[in-house]
Amino acid sequence: MDAPSPYALRPWMAQYGAHIAHTLAPPPHANLAAMADAAVQRFALQTAFTTVMPNGMYGSLSYAQVGEMSNAFAVYLREVLKLQAGDRVALQMPNCLAYPVALLGVLKAGCVAVNTNPLYTPAEMAHQFNDSGAKVVVVVDLFADKLEQALPRTGVKHVVLTRVSEFFPAVVGPIVRAVMKHWNKLIPKHGLSFTALPDALVQGRALDTPSASQAGRYARDVGHDTLALLQYTGGTTGVAKGAMLTHGNLLWNLSQMRAMSASHIEDGREVVLTALPLYHVFAFTVNFLCMFNAGARNILVPNPRPIQNLQRAFENYPITWVTGVNTLYNALLGEEWFTAFPPKHLKAAGGGGAAMHHAVVERFEAVTKAPLVEGYGLTESSPVVCFQPLNSQRQRDSIGIPAPMTDVRLVDDNGADVPVGQPGELLARGPQVMKGYWQRPEDTAQVLKDGWLLTGDVALMDEHGTFRIVDRKKDMILVSGFNVYPNEIEDVLSRHPKVLEAAVVGMPDAKTGEAVHAHVVKRDQSLTSEELLAHCRTLLTGYKLPARVVFRDELPKTAVGKILRRELRPAGTSAVNPAAATANPHNNSAR
Amino acid sequence: MLSDTETKLLGVMMMVIMLGMGASLTFKDFAIALRKPAGVGIGLVTTYVLTPMVGYALATGLGLPPAYAVGLILMACLPGGTTSNIFNYFSKGVLSLSILMTIVSTMFAVLLVPLALGIFSAGIEGEWKIPPGNVAQVLVVLLVPTVIGMLLRKWNANVGAVIEMIGGLLGIVVILFLVISWVPRNINLLATTPANVYIAAIGLGLVGFMVGYGFARLVRQDPRRSRTIALETGIQNGPLGVLIVLLTFEGTRQQEVLLIPVLYSLFIVLTSSVVTVWFRRISQREEAARDNAKIGALARA
Repeated sequence: MDAPSPYALRPWMAQYGAHIAHTLAPPPHANLAAMADAAVQRFALQTAFTTVMPNGMYGSLSYAQVGEMSNAFAVYLREVLKLQAGDRVALQMPNCLAYPVALLGVLKAGCVAVNTNPLYTPAEMAHQFNDSGAKVVVVVDLFADKLEQALPRTGVKHVVLTRVSEFFPAVVGPIVRAVMKHWNKLIPKHGLSFTALPDALVQGRALDTPSASQAGRYARDVGHDTLALLQYTGGTTGVAKGAMLTHGNLLWNLSQMRAMSASHIEDGREVVLTALPLYHVFAFTVNFLCMFNAGARNILVPNPRPIQNLQRAFENYPITWVTGVNTLYNALLGEEWFTAFPPKHLKAAGGGGAAMHHAVVERFEAVTKAPLVEGYGLTESSPVVCFQPLNSQRQRDSIGIPAPMTDVRLVDDNGADVPVGQPGELLARGPQVMKGYWQRPEDTAQVLKDGWLLTGDVALMDEHGTFRIVDRKKDMILVSGFNVYPNEIEDVLSRHPKVLEAAVVGMPDAKTGEAVHAHVVKRDQSLTSEELLAHCRTLLTGYKLPARVVFRDELPKTAVGKILRRELRPAGTSAVNPAAATANPHNNSAR
Repeated sequence: MLSDTETKLLGVMMMVIMLGMGASLTFKDFAIALRKPAGVGIGLVTTYVLTPMVGYALATGLGLPPAYAVGLILMACLPGGTTSNIFNYFSKGVLSLSILMTIVSTMFAVLLVPLALGIFSAGIEGEWKIPPGNVAQVLVVLLVPTVIGMLLRKWNANVGAVIEMIGGLLGIVVILFLVISWVPRNINLLATTPANVYIAAIGLGLVGFMVGYGFARLVRQDPRRSRTIALETGIQNGPLGVLIVLLTFEGTRQQEVLLIPVLYSLFIVLTSSVVTVWFRRISQREEAARDNAKIGALARA
């Protein structure tokens, strides 16, 4: 008789303790619009969003304002632009006050939002708008010229134009805009025909009945199974695919995230710093949905690079929560204003997107005295699958434990569960897992099997149910038949005090099949490769040692700051590992 | 010379400039600045040792009469203003370093300006001497708007940021104001002013840039930081110098002493603009070179 699977018993539930609910009731709201309306009712006069510019200038919207404006935008979409329920509206902007207004307006209209990276090239935009069938694009003026180039190749009918300083106060807004336009020369000329967002709101308001807003009507038939969001993923490996996230997926994930951090989130009391872009699924669910539902004040930073852009936000607001990726925390720790005066009110920090490095977590916690908990997820799972619990049992060097109502198991190449302590591909199942890829049944079938999401990540589970990511299956390096996981080598490299950051890739090698190549950005210019290799020799066995060290000024990164290992390999060698050829989700961009 | 109203107006503008300067600072900035001994040291040495020496050397070398010499040495002993931060921003310098140096020189101004002025103007005849106590008084009075600016910023970030911007721009406006109101009325004076006075007024800035750069390289700062330090060293708080002269001297004496601070203020805008454009080009070239190196590294990899 086969031994029962170690995963079926959900050993991690013992770690939930009294802090984390063992089971969750289905989300009470029928859809995200109803969730938002409830928060607007409850926290009406509290500040919902504040956008902070690098020089400290800011603009804010209260919950009531976000509610009223998003109603007006919903009416505009339905009555003026004549959109139907289920029509797609692309949102293309950095963090700014227009984002929550537009996003909630789209959802209240019963339409589907398509989060779009504003830094896309015209070709990438055209692909995403065509693939999603977007009829309307809400775009920030900074990228209007690129949209203009892409537009003729798409079916987009209307453009709504917004600006970073949208909804800023009277004197400050024009100053911010003038500085961006004339000083920084960021706002390009373009010939788009468009409606300005404030005009759209005026038109929407004119058609609305204030006593019983029409906006409530549009989403009446929207339920948990209705599509809310097309979140594109895998844009840099192949064709970007739209993960179909429903209202139910996102509502569930926000309550799962809330359950994991219940001890550290008080309704109406949190101030969360959002430096990661809201068009990315991690900030979208964790910072926006979860924190909006909790009545938090969201501090939006349009551009976290250079990292000094966060200084005024940290100085001027009593930040209680922050989310980020390893590179962001690493950069913060390099700033004297941050280390000398760490945020006093910080309760917790969340990390994800890519593996957090040990040294960074330790230093961050020593500096801020707040826990930096790492989570794991994918665009395909809304994104949260696992998070470290915010209690004494947390294992720092792990991705923690599955969120409530989530099943995780690890399997070998034949799909059989691997024993405790053995590496296997991570499979996840839960109410947050997407419906599939938009109009791509074949791709969907490859990653969704019997309700399980195949993540393409190799992980380990210990006897307490704590998971550790070993690496991406396809990033694994095969040196003379030994598996080498880049994360492990990167962690060792970044522990050297003279190293700012490091990325490791496998390169074809005549003798060993593949060889470990380390790409390193120096913190201290005196660092030599001999010095670094000597450091590695004390911590790594022979076959894991980098065969070559390349020093660089910086590493290629995604919009959220995740290091792009594949860009460190010359074209054509990315699939050298035959084991990686299985078509898993190309990009676990939410991790 | 300037009328009473103009003097008052200048005083008010100076208050606003210092309000803006205060709004650009936080108490934390001071604390952080003090944690950086190297930056503090460089700021203090360039502001209160090197530039005063340049002023003294020019005054002596050019054989300036006491009325002009005292104006030049006064200018040389003053701290940098927020104007230097604006030029550094345009020149793609290290803005945080520029701000740090401004903070440091301002923080110690009340003590060190009178001290430097006392030492370097020791040889000047009594009637032309600026009593260091006067200067200290003006600086103390100007501390009030600086602190108010800091508090305003703490109270409301938008108000703080707007005041900061207005203060920075007003530094240039004041100089334009001088050009418009002072130059036409003193055309005759300007025409009869000996060449060595012009050389001194322009030279203080230019030699300041060079000495600042040389010193920075000497203490092992990289070229970009050195360019920042150069601008910071050459650009003095012109309006402040004009104000001190107005408050210290009267009548024709005022007119004579005022000449160099005004000329310095006029020419420093021109020279720093030229230097800024030049520095900006160098910075851009360096950036491009770095980008090329990256592309090269990618091609080799």
